[in-house]
Amino acid sequence: MTGVDDPVIDPVIKKQQQWSQFAERTRRLLKEGRNALRGLSRAELVGLIDDYQRIIADLARARSMGAPRQTVDLLNRLAVMGHNLLYGYARPVHARGDGWLIHFARTVRKYGSAMGLSCLMLFGPMVISYLAVQWYPSLGFDLVPEGFYAFDPASSENLHDIPSLTRPMVSSSIITNNIQVTLMAFGLGLTAGIGTTAVLVFNGIHIGTVAGWMAVQGKSKALWGWILPHGSTELLAIAIAGGAGYLLAGAMVMPGLQRRSVALRAIGKDAMTIELGVMGMLVIAGLIEGFVSPSALPFEARLGVLGASILLWAAFFGGMGRKAGGETSLPRE
Amino acid sequence: MSERATITTADHVTLELELAGVPQRLMAWLFDTLMLVLLFLLLVFLFLGLGGGITFGLDLEAGVEELMSSVGVAILVAFYFVLTWGYGVLFEGLSRGQTPGKRLMGLRVVRQDGLPIGFREAAMRNLVRAADMLPPPTYALGALVLNFDPQHRRLGDMMAGTLVVRERFELEFGSQLGAAWAVRLEQGQSRQALSLPGGALTAQQLELIEQYLSRRTELTEQRREALARRLGEPLLTLMGREANRRNSTDFYEALMAEVLGMAESASSAKSVSGKRVDGLF
Repeated sequence: MTGVDDPVIDPVIKKQQQWSQFAERTRRLLKEGRNALRGLSRAELVGLIDDYQRIIADLARARSMGAPRQTVDLLNRLAVMGHNLLYGYARPVHARGDGWLIHFARTVRKYGSAMGLSCLMLFGPMVISYLAVQWYPSLGFDLVPEGFYAFDPASSENLHDIPSLTRPMVSSSIITNNIQVTLMAFGLGLTAGIGTTAVLVFNGIHIGTVAGWMAVQGKSKALWGWILPHGSTELLAIAIAGGAGYLLAGAMVMPGLQRRSVALRAIGKDAMTIELGVMGMLVIAGLIEGFVSPSALPFEARLGVLGASILLWAAFFGGMGRKAGGETSLPRE
Repeated sequence: MSERATITTADHVTLELELAGVPQRLMAWLFDTLMLVLLFLLLVFLFLGLGGGITFGLDLEAGVEELMSSVGVAILVAFYFVLTWGYGVLFEGLSRGQTPGKRLMGLRVVRQDGLPIGFREAAMRNLVRAADMLPPPTYALGALVLNFDPQHRRLGDMMAGTLVVRERFELEFGSQLGAAWAVRLEQGQSRQALSLPGGALTAQQLELIEQYLSRRTELTEQRREALARRLGEPLLTLMGREANRRNSTDFYEALMAEVLGMAESASSAKSVSGKRVDGLF
């Protein structure tokens, strides 16, 4: 209290004021939200940055010269507040300007073994349970969920059973349900792939037994004409999402010469790209399911939709964005 | 003291980020969940209210009702899904890493290099919740991983390369000690060791004395007396003076001020002589 008139103490008071003013302004702007900086004039913004840099400099000096802990802590908090306020989002740099679709197809193609494993885990149990129900139809009573015993989407009164007016609802709930399944298959990859495998195998068994049950009851036509036109796209989407899950699992189980979190982060970008693409696929499938499958289209046209979608996806994942020389070929001499 | 992560800013200064632990994150999550439920209820009531009102100019009475309910339910289903999965992605992507709950709790998601996150990171950390949530909806796995990770990340954070940090607005400006330090450092003067008749005082010891003097009024009477004695008695020996058990707190504090004054004048003398040396070369 004695030093207020003392000229030596003056810069100290000034410094103290600088800090508390910076804290006050930063706190207010941070509370205002993301557009707070846009409301500032040029001079204000430049002033704020100058103040931030002074704080940063004070912090650096205080750290290296061993200032008291409280001082370093105070300056650190001020600097973190300033940092959070002033720094912007660093946009990821895209190496190539290719469109998103090409990027998606390429990324899926890049991880053939993960995709293969996922297909095996989904389609393997599916085929086995389909055949099992064919050979031992009594199994159907154990495996087929009760609601599906009389599942007969294509019977005369059932073919157009979804009134056209409720189709938006059916479409919407099917899309969301499927996306949920793929998010499970994808996210549970982080359980070293156990969760992904469970999702794939259970879905495979479920679909296989219901399909087998329908075949046993002589409703193959319904299977091919009603379920598979959209089901093919959905199954493929789930298998690809499972592949993305296995990518995450691979990073956890076999991170190589890096930390697991680092490996996870490295593969995470590609896995995320795949999952986002899968969601897009499911929206397409859901629209087919909500609007094409319950329509009055003849059986042959439905088979046409089925064939067309299979061809489309084969072409998309097989050839989209593939370069003339081949992506994985060795450098040519 | 909370756990910290160290980042280096673009100005090459080290910043310590205080990491959020399970309790703060749990509170933020609870608040966000409450928000979600309220948002969804609001939407349901909105649709129930609108269902009767809007007819889109169609006259098919029964059909319109069915259409409304169907489209309405379709939108509700889609909205429910987008809300539950997209809440975190949207809020964290849009408002620099803060959902309303995190904002309330003073938390923020940042990238591991300390920069703000964008939609990519927000999507990555939020869309793999299925694993962190195991067994749903307990978040037990996420909490377990978080506890073992030195940077307090759940699995989603590891994948996205993000940290959840605390943003502290409570700052202690009480004493001028810090500012005094900063000014001194700014002027290029740092504490030097001080040699006294009975031995030397290191820069840290001088620092300790200065800290004591600047904060002495904040201490309780007993604490102040005990500290003054502990710091002051060795000083007496160093100064070559007689120790006396009856010395008062005031006496020791005056002694400390005297020593600090000596250190002040010694270091300014040194910097003057330093200048002279510079001039010679």
